Amino acid sequence: MSTAIHDIGYRHYDGPRQKHGQTVRALYVHNLRTLFGLGRGGKAKVIPFALLAMMMLPALGDIAIKAVVKQPDSFPMQGYGYILNPLIAIFLAAQAPVAASREIRYRTVPLYFSRPVGPRDFVAAKFGAFTTALLLLTALPMTVMHIGFLLTRQGIVEAASQPGAFRDVSEIPTVMEATREWAFGLIGALLLALVLSSFALLVAAYMPRRGFGIAAVIALYLVSNAVVGIAQGIALTRSAYDLAGWLNLFTPFNLVYGTQVALFKADGGVIAAPPPSGTGIFFLLFCVIIVAGSLAALHARFRKAGA
Amino acid sequence: MGVITVENVSRWYGNVVAVNGISMTIGPGVTGLLGPNGAGKSTLIHMMGGFLEPSAGALKIDGQDIWGHPEVYRHIGLVPERESAYDFLTGEQFILAMARLHKLPDPRGAARRAIGLVEMDYAAQRQIGTYSKGMKQRIKMASALVHDPAVLLLDEPFNGMDPRQRLQLMDLIRGMAEQGRTILFSSHILEEVERLATHIEVVVAGRHAASGDFREIRRLMTDRAHVFSLRSSDDRALAAAVIADGSATAVRVTDQGLEVEAGDFARFTRLLPRLAKESGVRLREVSPSDESLESVFSYLVEK
Amino acid sequence: MNSTIASLTLRGMLGRRRAVLLFLLPAVLLGLSVVLAATGYDTLSTSTGVLHAFGIVVLLPLLALIVGTGVIGPEIDEGQIMYVLTKPISRASVVLTKFACAVGLVVVFAVVPVWAASAIMVGPESDVSWAFAVGALQGGVVYAAVFLALAVVSRNAVTIGLIYALVWESMIGGFVAGSRNLSIQSWALSSVDALTSATTVNIGSSATTGLILTAITVTAALTLAITKLRTLTLATAD
Repeated sequence: MSTAIHDIGYRHYDGPRQKHGQTVRALYVHNLRTLFGLGRGGKAKVIPFALLAMMMLPALGDIAIKAVVKQPDSFPMQGYGYILNPLIAIFLAAQAPVAASREIRYRTVPLYFSRPVGPRDFVAAKFGAFTTALLLLTALPMTVMHIGFLLTRQGIVEAASQPGAFRDVSEIPTVMEATREWAFGLIGALLLALVLSSFALLVAAYMPRRGFGIAAVIALYLVSNAVVGIAQGIALTRSAYDLAGWLNLFTPFNLVYGTQVALFKADGGVIAAPPPSGTGIFFLLFCVIIVAGSLAALHARFRKAGA
Repeated sequence: MGVITVENVSRWYGNVVAVNGISMTIGPGVTGLLGPNGAGKSTLIHMMGGFLEPSAGALKIDGQDIWGHPEVYRHIGLVPERESAYDFLTGEQFILAMARLHKLPDPRGAARRAIGLVEMDYAAQRQIGTYSKGMKQRIKMASALVHDPAVLLLDEPFNGMDPRQRLQLMDLIRGMAEQGRTILFSSHILEEVERLATHIEVVVAGRHAASGDFREIRRLMTDRAHVFSLRSSDDRALAAAVIADGSATAVRVTDQGLEVEAGDFARFTRLLPRLAKESGVRLREVSPSDESLESVFSYLVEK
Repeated sequence: MNSTIASLTLRGMLGRRRAVLLFLLPAVLLGLSVVLAATGYDTLSTSTGVLHAFGIVVLLPLLALIVGTGVIGPEIDEGQIMYVLTKPISRASVVLTKFACAVGLVVVFAVVPVWAASAIMVGPESDVSWAFAVGALQGGVVYAAVFLALAVVSRNAVTIGLIYALVWESMIGGFVAGSRNLSIQSWALSSVDALTSATTVNIGSSATTGLILTAITVTAALTLAITKLRTLTLATAD
């Protein structure tokens, strides 16, 4: 019986391979689909889509009011995300573990890193996907609201032109003004998505057990909101308006909306204490620091998990 | 005394039938539950362990329904395949907790004995989260033994064990069977079942395909010819004689001897010595070459 | 009440990372109250505001969620509950023991800190401290029962509990007057209102109704949990 190695046709693949960017794109698409439960059966879709639907309600209500009652007052555009922050927070808490901790929990990270995917690509794909998901949550309703405005504007103008109308035609925003609000709103939504996703991914990555990851994200959101709210309340009663404005830095939704108020002239009446004038750039810088710091820590975490 | 009866049990999930009208009786001794992956073995064991409600039929231990009656757990020990024990407890703390939950009169003693039986004394003070796969299996085994049950249900117990641990576990199981316990273990590894089980139950695609001693089962498979390996002093002469006689359906001459496919087992066994004597050929070795569990099994699975 | 189950449950809850979260939340409340007291901002209205807005609205439900789902949820998810269910112990005993552990943890990590924070801010003799402590206890008991039942019924218990606490209780419960009777938070607050004479606490719903609804809800939730546990099919068993 002689020993031999048989040629059964194993071939080394020498043909064309796709570029590195394709890998990152594939990971990104995969993560985004997982965040909305696509490709995972019915149950995983319920919560993300239910939250998306709830986010759409004010926009749809706004259109309905404009079309039927023909009132020009609208739900705040730039403040959309801020006002609906509990819903966004729930999406954040529920889906951050889905994006960040599944691979860590089931110890499949090394499987990814044994292919031409490094921690940098991995984190970039997840961050991109989660940011996109959060952006969708706010940008979609805002865009729908804007389209609704464009469609119903003519009707509102006509109604206001009638004698005895409650509103003057000059009070109705022009298409230019409204579109500008919408554009600024989108930028704000992007900023919000960037800040929230980087931070939530970091927290979830350190809490592999799903239930506790959700609880940790929500705890940070609620506690920071409550503490800042209390501190601002006290500051305002002592007329320390500037201090109250600065305190916005310490809770994520206020941080981002404060930046919008300072830089894009969002409606300062929506939050309790608008930031002091001229501090917009500082707020923006703080956002950047949070995003950069969270991503760096996330990179370190995945590098360790893939070792 | 520790007899499990499965009475026409079925389990389905929507349109998928995992277990289809299985009836069997598991009595004292070691019974192997054999079947390919996805045959429904785990489902059946989980139903026997009271973890899954049968969609139809009933599972009973000594006449008492298992599902919904936690008292039967005094007499049943279950070693699951997938569920791992509490990671944050040490082996000893875990077994002690199990002993206490069973309300044993001497929990510490029972725990120590159970840990000794599976030879885990050396690691009992370490957290279960630090154990290797085989060690986790053994501590699960200890948790099933601590209350000295009459019935033991083991779902793929040899998974992840190295050869030495496997032999140890087999000895342990044999010892317990000799004490009169009823032990059922599932496996898809034929050598394990062949070595250990005195009685097998074969489950294929949710149906009960065969039960009993596997050699007996082979004999019952009359629609398949038995294959014998023969070595003699003159193979070709013997081959000619066998073909001439007609009780064989095929004869093959190899350099290891003859391979004879006998359609009629009984006739052939009586025939062979006579043929050999008449041809003046001395028989050196006669052995059935397809009575292994493997051939029985593959036959049943293909069916 | 089974001491072994209690010991297993508590050991599981107080291991490493989870314990951090449990200590962190009341620590923030206590820290806040110390700062307010030290800087002299602890007026009655501020203090009751903090106890209400942070203690009852944030700390209590969040802690009860973590504890109520944590005493049984992870065990069911990973199948380890099997080791408890394959023993001659009634399912009622399992659920009630875990519920008792959950209530105990809520007392230690929410009720006592609320009382302590109040004592730091308005002083221990004030009836505000006892009122809030009792309200927190009442709310905590109901939350724990509801979240425990939720954890037995659904694998998404934490998220559903969050939607209840954040969306239902804050957004809707605040706007629609009749729905106040469906909000655990308002039952707790109605008891607080009834027990303190401080005028800054004014809820406007009846404490008796709140107590009755509390009792009914706790009984219903625990019964649901016990029934569901009897017919529990492990996810890993399929």
